[in-house]
Amino acid sequence: MAFITRASPRSSRARLRVWGLCLFALLGLVSGVAHAARFEVHSASTSLVNQVYVLNAGISYEFSERALNALANGVPLTLRMDITIEHERNWWPDSTVAELEQRYQLQYHALSGLHVLRNVNSGASEVYPTLRGALYALGDVRDLPVIDEKLLDGDARYIISIRVQLDIESLPSPLRPFAYITPAWWLSSDWYTWSLRP
Amino acid sequence: MVVATLKRLTAGPRPVAIVLLLLFASLYLMSAATQNTAQFSRVYSLLLAINVAALLMLVTLIIRNLVSLLGQYRRRMPGSRLTMRLVIMFVVLAVAPVSVVYYFSVQFLQRGIDSWFDVRVERALEDALELGRTALDSRLRESKQLTRQFAIELIGVPESLAAIRLNELRQHGRALEMTLLTSHGRIIASSSADPADIVPSTPNLSVLLQLRQGLDYAAIEPVADGLQVRVVVPVSEGVTSDPKLLLVIFPIDERLSTLGESVQDAFAQYKELAYLRQPLKFSFTLTLSLVLLLSLLTAVWAAFFSARRLVEPIRDLAEGTRAVAAGDYDMRLPLPGRDEIGFLVRSFNEMTRKIALSRDQASRSQRQVEAQRAYLETVLARLSSGVLTVAADGSIRTSNTAAAQILGLAPSAFEGATLQTLAACHAGLTPLTDKVADFMAENEGEWHVEVTLFGPGGRQILICRGSSLPDIGEMQGGQVIVFDDVTALIQAQRDAAWGEVARRLAHEIKNPLTPIQLSAERLRHKYLKRMSPEDAEVLDRSTHTIVQQVESMKEMVKAFSEYAHTPVVRLAPMDLNMLVKEVAELYRADRRMQLNLDLATRMHYVEADAVRMRQLLHNLLKNALDVAPPDGTVQVRVTTKCGDTGCRHVELRVEDDGPGIPEEMLGHLFEPYVTSKPKGTGLGLAIVKKIVEEHGGMLAAHNRPEGGAAISVRLPMGTQDGARGMRQPTEQRA
Repeated sequence: MAFITRASPRSSRARLRVWGLCLFALLGLVSGVAHAARFEVHSASTSLVNQVYVLNAGISYEFSERALNALANGVPLTLRMDITIEHERNWWPDSTVAELEQRYQLQYHALSGLHVLRNVNSGASEVYPTLRGALYALGDVRDLPVIDEKLLDGDARYIISIRVQLDIESLPSPLRPFAYITPAWWLSSDWYTWSLRP
Repeated sequence: MVVATLKRLTAGPRPVAIVLLLLFASLYLMSAATQNTAQFSRVYSLLLAINVAALLMLVTLIIRNLVSLLGQYRRRMPGSRLTMRLVIMFVVLAVAPVSVVYYFSVQFLQRGIDSWFDVRVERALEDALELGRTALDSRLRESKQLTRQFAIELIGVPESLAAIRLNELRQHGRALEMTLLTSHGRIIASSSADPADIVPSTPNLSVLLQLRQGLDYAAIEPVADGLQVRVVVPVSEGVTSDPKLLLVIFPIDERLSTLGESVQDAFAQYKELAYLRQPLKFSFTLTLSLVLLLSLLTAVWAAFFSARRLVEPIRDLAEGTRAVAAGDYDMRLPLPGRDEIGFLVRSFNEMTRKIALSRDQASRSQRQVEAQRAYLETVLARLSSGVLTVAADGSIRTSNTAAAQILGLAPSAFEGATLQTLAACHAGLTPLTDKVADFMAENEGEWHVEVTLFGPGGRQILICRGSSLPDIGEMQGGQVIVFDDVTALIQAQRDAAWGEVARRLAHEIKNPLTPIQLSAERLRHKYLKRMSPEDAEVLDRSTHTIVQQVESMKEMVKAFSEYAHTPVVRLAPMDLNMLVKEVAELYRADRRMQLNLDLATRMHYVEADAVRMRQLLHNLLKNALDVAPPDGTVQVRVTTKCGDTGCRHVELRVEDDGPGIPEEMLGHLFEPYVTSKPKGTGLGLAIVKKIVEEHGGMLAAHNRPEGGAAISVRLPMGTQDGARGMRQPTEQRA
């Protein structure tokens, strides 16, 4: 059974991350570069399928002009989905039970005029005639196995968090210094958290 | 131990050089990563961060060095100016060429990257891409047409036979894979050329959406091993039934696929490169700048390091010089090396070592001199003779205890004194200082003189021997004076001599006197009655004269005996004024003398023998009475007064208005048997002199300008507590 909590305060670590993001945003404001691009996790939940908790999520990806321009010019963009499962404890700091990292690479194929979306973890790739279609497919996460039921304590309460972000480290190396100092490349969603009581 | 080892390992240039080498390696890797070298690309950001951090550390290190140097410069520490100058020189020498190289490198870099891109190459690639698309389009159209035919042929085929029919059609159309699906993407049947391919491919949501809009989907899709054609068309079986979808994957000729992929890769690479033109420039410039900054900062740090290394021995030398100036000769400087500065430092160390040796030697010599001086002082202190050394300017440099004792001064009286100041402060020493000054003025080599002083201790006779000091040092032209107090010795000798004379005289004369007197009386007794009156008168007169003269001679002999006799002097405090008054009273009745007393109002007690002093007064007054004219009177005046300031001696003065003392007698007036009077033994004043000498006093006689004689007796004041004592005259000055 899963309880969904939208953007609930999760732990001190999460608060730190929030502060970090605030600082990040402040830096963006200071740099004077305003951009509407952002990633957002609209919904996320887990359900038990064949004794495995699977993730279903709805995520919207809005890239900045700079990122879209890079994509159109053949620069592959890597998106990283971070999923963490933490054991919520009353008197002790929460402990991390599992951390998952799902990577997707989006690339424009000039010869065919298609967008290729590749799951870096599995190696499977799909082609999409439009970027919109590719981003829609990327944001529509269905039945992504997260953790085996056996690994969770039936009496415990767990916090699951998800976040997606553009992986700057996967960009071509000449682009990375630019990306680190240009807010248009700082594409990331907030942490979306919900609780899970097996 | 561990900390010391760590300090040793981290100190000096070696660790810094290693760090710098690592940084240069890191920069090299970063440069390689910039060029998209896959193995370094992953750590590009890390390398960048490491280099930036290292540069920040270097900047911090240099700022710290600079602040330290500026502080030293402001405090004017030795070596700081030279260090500053060297640092500035090194920095200027490093910055100038590196800046020029940097400027031109950036220019070359920008132009070099720009030269990679050419409009014609870009156009050719785009044309090649278009050509590839055109070539593939015909294949796409064929595939699309064929798929539509297959869709028509599948109309009405039951789902149970669909798989067989699909296989036939696939083989007929030389397709790789053929799948029949529902409109929602569920697989109805499929056929694949690859038996291992058990999971048929399905159209994704985007394709399904496109098909729902009534549009076919046909596209050249990139796959792992090249290109393939994917076509999805609806299979319409009527308005009522749910439409199905037919997905067919066709292969593309291998040659065409390879060429197409090649064109795609080249185009994509060029396009990406063109897009990354500015980031590449930025990245290369960043790497170059980091290299430059690293080199520059390393040079600056090396400048600090080298300047410090160069200046350190010079600073040590400066500090060493200061230490030597402050008297620290034990300082040894660390040897910086075997170069010229090292030679200088070695010479400095050798110099300080020799100075230290000389100092030790001088110290030993000084100790020896001090020991000799102490020895000399001890010897001088034990001498009974007084010793003084007088410099050419008259200042007294050395004196011993005996000198102070003999002269009746405190030992400190000689400190900083000169002959002149000594004479001014102690008038009694004037005869001595004058004599010494005279001999020094005459530059006598060696001299010998007897000096008579009259001080608080009475008359003193000093035997002085002087000698010129060697012409060395500050005592050049000075004199050493050794003197002995021989007062007691001379007096004893004189007394003994006169005593012997008197004793012999008395003995030789006294013995025949009695027989002479008896013989004269016998002659008178026997022959006076028998003789005629005229003869008897002659005899009577003659014998009477003989007897009278013998009596007179007996008196004289008695006086000599008294003179020769040396009674014990019993000193006791006595009032001189009272004594004078008592004795004067005895002479009041004598009409030949008119006695006037002028006694001091405040007279201290005198340490003297009252009996001997009474005799002294009698002798003086009798001496004055003797000069009275036969029918006249003599005016005698007796005066007592304190001799000088502080009343260290008293003076008794007896004056008369008689004829005075003949000039020829003034020199030896007080010697025995000297008299100008027809009567008298000539011993009165000699006895006075003897009594005065027994009391340590001084006697003087002179003629008064207004006429008459004056005899002055100076007697020393006794001790204040009036200590009584007994002394033999010969022991008075011992």
